Amino acid sequence: MNPSCCPAPADGLPATTPRAARHAQWWLAGYATAVVAVTSVHDPRVLAGLLGLALAASGSTRWRVLRRALLAVLAFNLSVSLGYLGVSLWQGAFRPAYLVLVNLRVLLLVFLGFWFVSRVNVLQALSFSPTLSFVATLAVGQVTVFLRVLRDFRLAFVSRNPGRPRWSDRARNASAQATHLLDKSVASAAEASLAMRSRGCFDD
Amino acid sequence: MHIPDGFLSPQTFLPAYAVAGVAWLWAARSLRRQLDDQTVPKLAALTALAYGLGLIMLPIPGGTSGHLLGVAMLALLFGVRLAFLSYSLVLLLQSLLFGAGGVTALPINALAMGLAGAAMAVLVFRALRRLGEPLAVVAAAWCSVMLSGLIVGLVLGLQPLIAQRPDGTPLFFPFGFAVVLPAVLVPHALIGVGEAALTLLVWRFARGRGWVAAEGQAERSVRCA
Repeated sequence: MNPSCCPAPADGLPATTPRAARHAQWWLAGYATAVVAVTSVHDPRVLAGLLGLALAASGSTRWRVLRRALLAVLAFNLSVSLGYLGVSLWQGAFRPAYLVLVNLRVLLLVFLGFWFVSRVNVLQALSFSPTLSFVATLAVGQVTVFLRVLRDFRLAFVSRNPGRPRWSDRARNASAQATHLLDKSVASAAEASLAMRSRGCFDD
Repeated sequence: MHIPDGFLSPQTFLPAYAVAGVAWLWAARSLRRQLDDQTVPKLAALTALAYGLGLIMLPIPGGTSGHLLGVAMLALLFGVRLAFLSYSLVLLLQSLLFGAGGVTALPINALAMGLAGAAMAVLVFRALRRLGEPLAVVAAAWCSVMLSGLIVGLVLGLQPLIAQRPDGTPLFFPFGFAVVLPAVLVPHALIGVGEAALTLLVWRFARGRGWVAAEGQAERSVRCA
């Protein structure tokens, strides 16, 4: 499974060059180090400072990345924060510093993750392992196929039902969609694996 | 049931990375032998399905999330090792692309859902197969979800015990076992029913398409597990 024999990543993903792969792997190493460092900091002022630094360093994409990070953590952090608020007030042990600490830490970690992904091609970052890179390329390709099929089915269903569709129609559509999704995706991955076989991917 | 980033202490996730690293090496050892041009397309398709399923999640007040896993279907069709590797990849992509789960929580999520969940599914399926395949598939999927939930709950509930300030302020996840275990396990008993139905559907689809060779892999993986 030499990565050089594998087909180019699906739809819009750039092919891996050694220099780009090295660059991505340095970013991956830096990101991993930063993540461990952030989880070792328990002072909210330091975490706020680090978040400010990360925002300053992330350039023109900072607000877009911050918005994504806020949306990603909102539901979970709200649920944990409200749960903590309720339980700790009930037990008479409420410590507001904890809420600041945990919310800042989670936001910073997710921001770092999204910043990393916005700067680096994940497939290139994983190319240090031929096996991981191989499976990741196939899976990302399949995700693209899934998204396209889902969109096609949704549009077709809307065009066939100008009025409000009945539940039985919805169920039939969902069932047909699920079967087609798996068939289509197996066929598409079969094409990819045939291409790999022709390049010697399955040969020793 | 992803654990998000920032709720696990380094005392938890660093040793977990060491354990998961050994498990990933073990799982990858036979990868070249198992992956051929018949298996790869099916594995890629079902890995992508598991990826999609894991993204439709609801937060659970105990600090984790509820969603279908797809691990049981991967394990029953491809065996524990491939299911573990595929699901680890799913978790990595979900955490990096959508902030679902997280890099610090990756080894625990992978070991709980990808490895323990897959092994449980295969073992229960093998134990109950003689009672009928549909029943065995349903029980395998439900038990797989519950075991994964139990491990996630135990790891989260451990955090206030191992990481807190001298005054008792938690540094990472705040709730102990008494709160987190029911909060994770009760919703997942219902989620397990959905997982069981999905796994049965995919199992029937796979049988209908004649993925017979994959069954043999599930059998072999039991011996490896």
